[in-house]
Amino acid sequence: MNFYEHTIIARQDASSGQLKQIQDKYADLVIKHEGKVVKTESWGLLNLAYLIKKNRKGNYIHFKIEGNGKTISELEKSEKIDKNLLRYLTVKVKKLDLKTNYFEKKSEEFKEKTNLSYEKNK
Amino acid sequence: MKKTNRNKKRSSQNNFAKLSIFQPQKYKFNKKCPLSEKGAPVVDYKNIRLLKKYITENGKIMPSRITSVCQKKQRALSLSIKRARNLALI
Repeated sequence: MNFYEHTIIARQDASSGQLKQIQDKYADLVIKHEGKVVKTESWGLLNLAYLIKKNRKGNYIHFKIEGNGKTISELEKSEKIDKNLLRYLTVKVKKLDLKTNYFEKKSEEFKEKTNLSYEKNK
Repeated sequence: MKKTNRNKKRSSQNNFAKLSIFQPQKYKFNKKCPLSEKGAPVVDYKNIRLLKKYITENGKIMPSRITSVCQKKQRALSLSIKRARNLALI
């Protein structure tokens, strides 16, 4: 069994219900093909650095998966066809890093900063 | 005396200007790699804040001769920058 990090970008106009559907769909696919989803992170709506299929923003979903090569090939097969997705990226890692979440930290800091500015304004 | 002083000044300036790959080793800065120290940050395609330090304003990868990153880390950097580009993070 190998460890993988898998990130997908969904369209910007997808509703939160649709996003959940997408997330559940691929989590089920992983489980079907002898895999295991260790952790899922949703990074939320982020600005894209450049336009992808005329989208300025994208919903990022990040999976940490334990499985073999077949699970990943099946995943990517169905993601290629999916019209709701813009991109996907799979990275094989030796160890899953479950502690750090670079995107959550950022949002928290942003909140702190915005809170500070709000207080100053008050 | 004056002449020698002038020469010294000139030579020091010239050294700085000529600092390039063609110059011998003794003129180069001997700075240690900032990514292989103790407690250095992990090079990862999700760590955008770190990666942004090592690209130019136009989005190019900076050469290690300027940033003084060691070869091993430079390879890891370029790979993770390319991954981040694919995800439209950079």
